[in-house]
This record gives sequence, C-alpha cells and structure tokens, in this order.
Amino acid sequence: MKRKAEREASSKKAEKKSAQPCYYTVDGIVKRGLPVLSITCVLGIGVGQILNLKENSLLSMPALLILIPALIKIGGDTGSMLGARLSSAFHMGLGEHLHKNPVVHNSLIAAAIVGFVSSGSVTVLVWIASQLLGYGMPFLILLKISLIAVCIELVVVHSATIGIAFASHRFGIDPDDTVIPFIATLGDLVGVVGIFIALGLLDII
Amino acid sequence: MPSESHREEDNFESRFIEKYLREYASVSSIVREALPFELIATVGGVVAGIILSGMTEELEMIPGLIVVYPGVLGLRGNISSTLGSRLSSAIHMGLITEIDWGNPELMNNISGSMILSFIMAVLLGLLGHLATLALGFESAGPFKLVLICVLAALSSGIILSFVAVLLAVGMFRFGFDPDNVVTPSIATIGDIVSMFMLFLAAKLVVML
Repeated sequence: MKRKAEREASSKKAEKKSAQPCYYTVDGIVKRGLPVLSITCVLGIGVGQILNLKENSLLSMPALLILIPALIKIGGDTGSMLGARLSSAFHMGLGEHLHKNPVVHNSLIAAAIVGFVSSGSVTVLVWIASQLLGYGMPFLILLKISLIAVCIELVVVHSATIGIAFASHRFGIDPDDTVIPFIATLGDLVGVVGIFIALGLLDII
Repeated sequence: MPSESHREEDNFESRFIEKYLREYASVSSIVREALPFELIATVGGVVAGIILSGMTEELEMIPGLIVVYPGVLGLRGNISSTLGSRLSSAIHMGLITEIDWGNPELMNNISGSMILSFIMAVLLGLLGHLATLALGFESAGPFKLVLICVLAALSSGIILSFVAVLLAVGMFRFGFDPDNVVTPSIATIGDIVSMFMLFLAAKLVVML
C-alpha cells in the first residue's frame, strides 16, 4: 500500500499540469520493460558473436549480408504469429488436447506455409538486389541456403513456441506477455545458426 | 435435468468450435491474413540488408560493430513495437485523442521508451565489448561501441516515436484500428530506420 501511494505521488510530481495521476508513468514503463529487454539484449549479443566468428567470410560475400537480416526475421515473425494465435486459443479455452487440437494443427501449417513462401520471396529480392549491386551470387545457391536455413529455423522456433505457449498456459502465466519478445530473439539466434549450417553443408564457408 | 443442460452446453460448444474453425482458424484464412504482412516485413528486411552490405568498410574499421548490430535492431523492434501497441491501447481508452505534445500520457510513453533505449544501448555497447574480448577478438573499445549504440538507438528512437504517434493517431482519425496497423508497420520501418542510423553513427565514429 505504501509503495502504491509512493508511486502515485511520484507520478503526480512528474506531471505538474494535470491533477489526477497518469495511467502511463515513465517509471512503470521502464520497470516493466527492463527484464525482458535485458534478456533479449544478451541473446542479441550472442547472435552478434556468431556473426563475428565468420566476419571475414561474410565481408567477402556481401550478398549474404543482404540475406541475413531478412531471412532471420521470418522465424521470429511467424513464431510470434503462431504464439499469439495459440495464446488466443488458450484464452478461449480450446487448448486442452495437443494432438487432437485442430487450432494447433492449422496454425502450425499456416505458419509454415507463410514461412516458406516468404523465404522464397526473400531469395528472389536478395538475388535481384545483389545483381543490381554487382555482388554476383548465383540464384540456385541463394535458394538452397535460404531453404535449408528456413527449414531448421521453422522446426526449432515453432516447436519452441508451442512448448513455451503450453508451458506458460499450464503454469498460469499469460502467454501474451512472455512468448512474443522471447520468440522474436530466439528466431534471430536460430536463423543465424541455420544460415551457417546451410553454408557449411553447401561447402561455401 | 442437469445432464440435459450439459448436453445443450456441449452442443453449443461444438457448434461454436466448428464455426471458429471454419471462419477463423482454417489454414487458408490464416495464410491470407498473415502472408501480406510477412511479405512486406521481409521487404523491409532486405532493405536493411542492403544498407548492411554497404557498411563493409565500417564493419572492417570498427571491430565489434557486427556484434552489436543484431542487438540494436532487436532493441528497436522490441521498444518501438511496444510503444506502438501502448499508444493504440491509450487511444482505445481515450487517454490520447490528438497529437498534443503537452499531453502527459503521450510524453510519458515517449520518454519512457527513450529512457529504455538509452539504458539498453549502454548495456549493449558494454556487453558487446566484453563478450568480444572474452572470445579473444579485437574490439574497438567500450567508448566507441557505446557511443555508436547510443547514437543509433536515440536517433532511431526519436524518429520511430514520431512515426508511431503519427500512425496511431492518424489511423484512428481515418477510422482504422491502430492495433492492426501500427505494430507491423513499426516493425518494418524500424528495421530500415535503425539500420540506417547505425550506419550514420558508425560513419560519424570512424571520422572521430
């Protein structure tokens, strides 16, 4: 109670013009944001270190530098969409049996379709851009890299999304708060690892 | 009696579920809804990638820059998207109705996300420097990396806050639900703007 009163007093002090306390306070926004952002910050540095390990090969193939930011977004984006759908389904009470549940099935199939179609469009766009900028990367190699990377990314990120969504449902945490920021950063991490695995498989690096 | 009412409830529930599955959760309806947004978002990613591929000189001159780039981009996405969805909620609650920079709810939202950007940028620069040293690589030093992160995060934060406010209020004026428009557009614009600002910040620091 005391704390609440203090908080209200401080938010009152923060804005002298209006009489009643604000719904959004600078304090509240910063306090709620810091924990999640710190975790994503550490994971982001991890992604950066993986890139750093292979910096020289990346700098010698600028087409890969165009591919990476676009391709690693796909896993996080489709994963967040899947997470948001699953958590809405849980909120509506449709999430009891995992294998039988058509909402889980359909959302998963749809997320995979969206992922593959967008990876195809990314490949075409990156190829056009690298042609225009004179980086010269064969289309087939780009396509192989993105398909292998996207396969790895979608399998890992989507299983993680389903796992986290079910776990946070079981333990009574609102999945909306936990799944999405975490999945977006996990998508970056798995995406970069997937791209390097693909490059390794194709003997490019 | 109770068993009958149960059956009725079951009936109702199964009808509801059927309707839900047909109209809302069928594969084709989900794909139709999500694919256009994802395709636009990947165009943003490719533009960000083109900027990144033009930074090869800076990446070579500032060791450690490639370490902080995913963090800076992720930060922007997380902070500005949440700002966008908070603004949408504030509009729905009637706390913000027009673009009025004197409105404390609006200013608290913006300054809160700017403070978060600043704290996270400093943390990102320091962590990037330490992690790079720990793995035995060369680093441009904590001062340069923190300066790059702070410059990039604050400048892109200011631009994206303006865009978020204009989009949220403007979309509401024109009768759209800001929830549907603001978050995906900020995610796409955010990648491009923060990559460009990172590029400018790196160029500035190289000149120092």
